[in-house]
Order: sequence, then C-alpha cells, then structure tokens
Amino acid sequence: MNKLAIAATALALAAGGAARADSILVLNSEDASYSILSRSGRIELVRLPIGREPHHLIATPDGKDVLVGSTATNELLVLDAKTGEKRRVVRDIIDPYQLGFSADGKWFVTVAYRLDHVDIYHADGFKLAGRIFIDGLPSHMAFDTDSKTVFVTLQQTGRLVAFDLETQAIKWNVEIGKAPAGVLMLPDNKRLLVALTGEEGLVAVEPKDGTVTANLRTGKGAHNFWPKGDGRHWFLSNRVEGTVSLIDTQDLKVVATIKVPGGPDDMDITPDGKELWVTQRFLRRIAVVDLEQMRVVASVPVGKSPHGVMMLKSGTTGPGGGPVRAASTAGEQK
Amino acid sequence: MRDLIDIWVGIQAWLFETLVSPVLFRFGLMEWFEPAFNAVEIFMLGIVQILVIALGMRFFEKRWPLEKTANDDLVAVDRVYTVLNKLGIVPLAVFMVSYPITNEIDYLVRSWGFAPPRLERLLPWLHDSALGSFLVYFALYDFAAYWLHRAQHKFAWWWALHSLHHSQRQVTVWSDDRNHIVDDLLITLALVVFAQFVGVQPDDYILILMIGRLIESWSHANVDMSFGRVGARLIVGPRFHRLHHALAGPDERHIQDHNFAPVFPIWDILFGTANYDGKRRPTGVDNPIMDADNGRGWVAQQVTVFGRFVRALTPRFIRASTQPGLRPPAE
Repeated sequence: MNKLAIAATALALAAGGAARADSILVLNSEDASYSILSRSGRIELVRLPIGREPHHLIATPDGKDVLVGSTATNELLVLDAKTGEKRRVVRDIIDPYQLGFSADGKWFVTVAYRLDHVDIYHADGFKLAGRIFIDGLPSHMAFDTDSKTVFVTLQQTGRLVAFDLETQAIKWNVEIGKAPAGVLMLPDNKRLLVALTGEEGLVAVEPKDGTVTANLRTGKGAHNFWPKGDGRHWFLSNRVEGTVSLIDTQDLKVVATIKVPGGPDDMDITPDGKELWVTQRFLRRIAVVDLEQMRVVASVPVGKSPHGVMMLKSGTTGPGGGPVRAASTAGEQK
Repeated sequence: MRDLIDIWVGIQAWLFETLVSPVLFRFGLMEWFEPAFNAVEIFMLGIVQILVIALGMRFFEKRWPLEKTANDDLVAVDRVYTVLNKLGIVPLAVFMVSYPITNEIDYLVRSWGFAPPRLERLLPWLHDSALGSFLVYFALYDFAAYWLHRAQHKFAWWWALHSLHHSQRQVTVWSDDRNHIVDDLLITLALVVFAQFVGVQPDDYILILMIGRLIESWSHANVDMSFGRVGARLIVGPRFHRLHHALAGPDERHIQDHNFAPVFPIWDILFGTANYDGKRRPTGVDNPIMDADNGRGWVAQQVTVFGRFVRALTPRFIRASTQPGLRPPAE
C-alpha cells in the first residue's frame, strides 16, 4: 500500500460518514479493540478500544446500529452502523458471546459460551425473558423463519438444542456430532445445517426433532456459515483445514473450495457480492477473497485474534437485493 | 514492526497447525483450540526468555561476578526449574489444576452479574494510552505480588514451601523459577483471581508476565549492580533483591523481611520494608533442614519440600506426639 493511497483514504474519511461507505469493521478479540478498514484501500484506517474480549457483532433489525458483545465486561456496545462510532453501552448482558435477533425482530438472544447459559430477551429494551443454564459450551445459534424457535449448538457436548422463544423451554436436545459450531436455518425453514468443528464437515438436521438426515464433507474443523446472498449458496469456514467451502444447500454439495490460511473464522461479503472478507484468527489479519477468481487476493493486518467482521452499512440491501442482516433468519450472526 | 509480528505469528501458526492442532482434532479436544494457540505463544516467549537469560544476563554474571560460583551443581538444578517453567511445562500442570478453580470463581462471580471494572471507566484517559494502561495494570499486578510475597514469608506453612526458593546458596539469574510446584499453584491462583477482578487484559497479562519475570530473573543475577540511585527506586535490580536473599546472621535475624517487591520497589518504600544499605552478604537460609535442599535434584527437592509443607500444616499436638524427642515427658 503506498503512502499516496493511504493519504487519499484518510482524506476521504475526513470528508464525512459517506466516505465510510466501503468500510469494514473487525473485532480484535484479544486486543480489546476494533479496527475499521478501507475496502478499496485494503488497509486498516483506525483501531479503537472497545470493551474486553469482543467476539461477535450483529446489526439491529432497523439497520441503524451494530451491537458488539463485550464478553468479559457483561456489556453490549452499540456502534453506529454507518460510521462505526460508539454510541452507547447496554449493561448487564451477561457473557454475550453470540448475538442474534429473531426474524420478526421481537426476540434477542445471547449465548454465554464461558458461563454456559442461553439468555432470551425481549428485543425492545433488552428485557430478559428467560435464562436457561445448559452445560457444554453453547456457541452458535440460528432462528426459524417464523420466530418461534432458536437452535443453539453445544460445542463441548456435541449437541444441538432447540428452545421455544415464547416459553423459553427446551423443545429437544440431541447429540449430532463432535464440537458443533455454526448453525444455519435454510430459507425454506425445513432443514438446519450444522458445522462440526470436531469433524470434517456438516450435517443436515431436521428442525422438528433434531434428527440427522445427511452429512457433507467440507474440510477439517468446519466452523461457521455466511450467506452468498442468492438464497442457495453459503460459505463455510474450515478452521483446521484452512479453507472456505462454497456450499450449494439445495443439492447439498461443495461447489468450490478456497484456501484461506490462519484458522479462518467469521466472514462477510461485500455489498456488490464480489469479495468475501474472512478473519484469519491466528495471523492477526483479514483475508480478501475475490469471488470471481475464488482465491485470496489480499490479507490486511489488523489486531490480535480478529473474530467478528462486518461491512459497515452502505445501503440496506445485500448482493441478492434482499436484506443483508435485517434479521437473523439464516445463521447470519457471526 | 508489522514484519516482526508477521514472522512471530507465522512461526506460532506453523507450530500450532503442524504439531498441536492435529492432536486436538484427533482426540476431540477442539474446545481448547484457541487456548492451545495461545499456549504455543507462551512456549515461544519462554524460549525467548531463556535466550535472553543465557546469552544476555549470563554475560554480566560471567564478566562481573559478585561471588565466584564454586559448585556449579548447586546452580544446575535452578536451570532445570527455569526450563520447566519457561517452556510452559510447570505452568501447564499448574493451569490444569487451577483452571477449574479459577473458572468456577469466574463463573460464580459473573453469574451474579459482577463484571471486572475497567480502570478506563475511572481514568478515561487510559483509553488513549496503551502504554499508560499497561503500566497501571502492571503496577497493580505487582502490588498484589508484593503482598503475596510477604504472605509467603509470614505464614509458617507457606514459608515451608517458599524456603525452597531461599535455600539456594548461590543465587544466579537461573534462581527466579526455583519454586515448589504447590507454591507456584498458590501464587498463580491468587494472581489470576486478582487479575480477573482488576480486569487485566489477557494480552496485557501475558506481557506483564513476560517482562515481569525477565526483570525478576535479572534481579537474582550474581552481580553487584543496580539501576542507579534513582533507577533503583523505580525498578528492582540485583543489589536490591539480593538483600532479600541474604543469610540471616545473629545481628540480622530478619534481614529477609526486606525488599519483597518483584518489580517496583515503590511498594517496599511505601510499606517500610525497603533496605538500600548495599552491603554484600552471603545468601541462603540459616536452617540446616532447609539448607539441605542444596545438593538435591528437582524431584528430591519437590518431594522433601512437600513433606516440609505437610508437616507445617499438621497441628502442633499431632506433630509432637509423632516425633520422637518432641513428645511430652511420660508420667
């Protein structure tokens, strides 16, 4: 990156919020900081302190804010979705590791990875509806499209649990494989896909009772999903293998595999659908994958153990024309 | 700077992905994926520390020794302690025991809704100063370590363990890690809980340990050096700390009750335990049972000192009834 480009980027930033239209937000989980990157410049523009052990983030249903879970301080930190600037702090959200909103925006759920509980809040005002203690490192979640159920993976015990959002009761709790992590409800609301970090791929699961109906090999340490935006294809990071798989969820097959070294984890796709940005936890970098060439074309230095990543809001529509993350209907929480 | 980081994390990632990650995957231990990656960094930092001691600090000891080392066997066991500690073998054992305990404390406290307060809430300017924040947390951590060190000397059962550290007659840069594993466990537990409550960042915590332990290794060096009149009041050096290891004499029964601070002498100055007289004294303990640690290997020291610890914990009347010569006179 030459100095001229950096200067140009800095000038563009100084011009105001609109200049951040192509900015990307990354949480450096072990630095207690977040980075704002320039997509076009492929550089870190600024690194700012935030909470402690910030891992994941999600946009609010109205798209105006980004919530960052500061796990070790029991807080949600609210950032402006356009500029990434800090707005306020929501206190007493205990160990907010993963965050998610139901499709109707009515429920807000956090899973406490270290403290072994799932918290279901009324999204309006973050009023706790119920806390369910459950052993086994709850890690990722997905909602059904009718906002009745949240599905949570338990990484240590190898189980998937379905919770009724209204009553906060457990509907079912079944063993599905080693170290399940990312979970995804497909848009037809009829199949769940669960990445097995302790194995070499994913399993398809029946949402009504947790029955495993199929499996697919993707790579060692299959971990987290991100939608391509066409309602059919999803990316899946394979942390041990050091790859990202592109999966056709309709035919349940891998259509492409991209090598991304450094323990690839969370992802986001640019609004034009041309690039996938993937956090490289071990390398303190974020990889830029060109989706035409299907390869890493750049790797941008950030802070230590970068985890959650999000394109700052340049509009409300995603590559397929639909909402990018208005509500978490498809495992879009990071 | 970024180039150095890239080289460092490149080596770390290679070691992890080649040696550690396959084992975790094979044995279904993937929930330890991230902690194990950090453990590789601690291992690498340990190698750096050993190199700094062996190549840097030893140079000063060889060039300007305070005491001629007559018996290298006495020092050899301290090298074993250093390697076992710096390469993470002892810390791993300590971690395996302490983790469930500290985790349970963390679990309990945080489920009550208590989160460690960040100093930055009280001192907002720390937000903008990574160095300032690091130094403040370092000072707090050292403050806790100072009081723990005083406790090691205060309680008979803890002194039974800590006396192993003091029994070395030939204190050198290798002596800092010469501790009983139970002593290490107790100190680790206390400092981790303290760090959790004060809110030290995990990354800062590693850096504090790294820099702190290097300063402590240097403060044990067999040289008569300090950081100067002012510097010696800011950072602990060999002359200051050697007095803490001084062999008690008839006129100085409590000479070791001085200069407890691990890194910042300010705590000794504030709490009246600083001694800057600069006199040269032999080191060790004036107790023949403890002095007998010299000449033993690592295993023998661990076993005998543990016995000492158990006896110190045993109530006096039981000890008296089981030890010939200490029994009350027969009626």
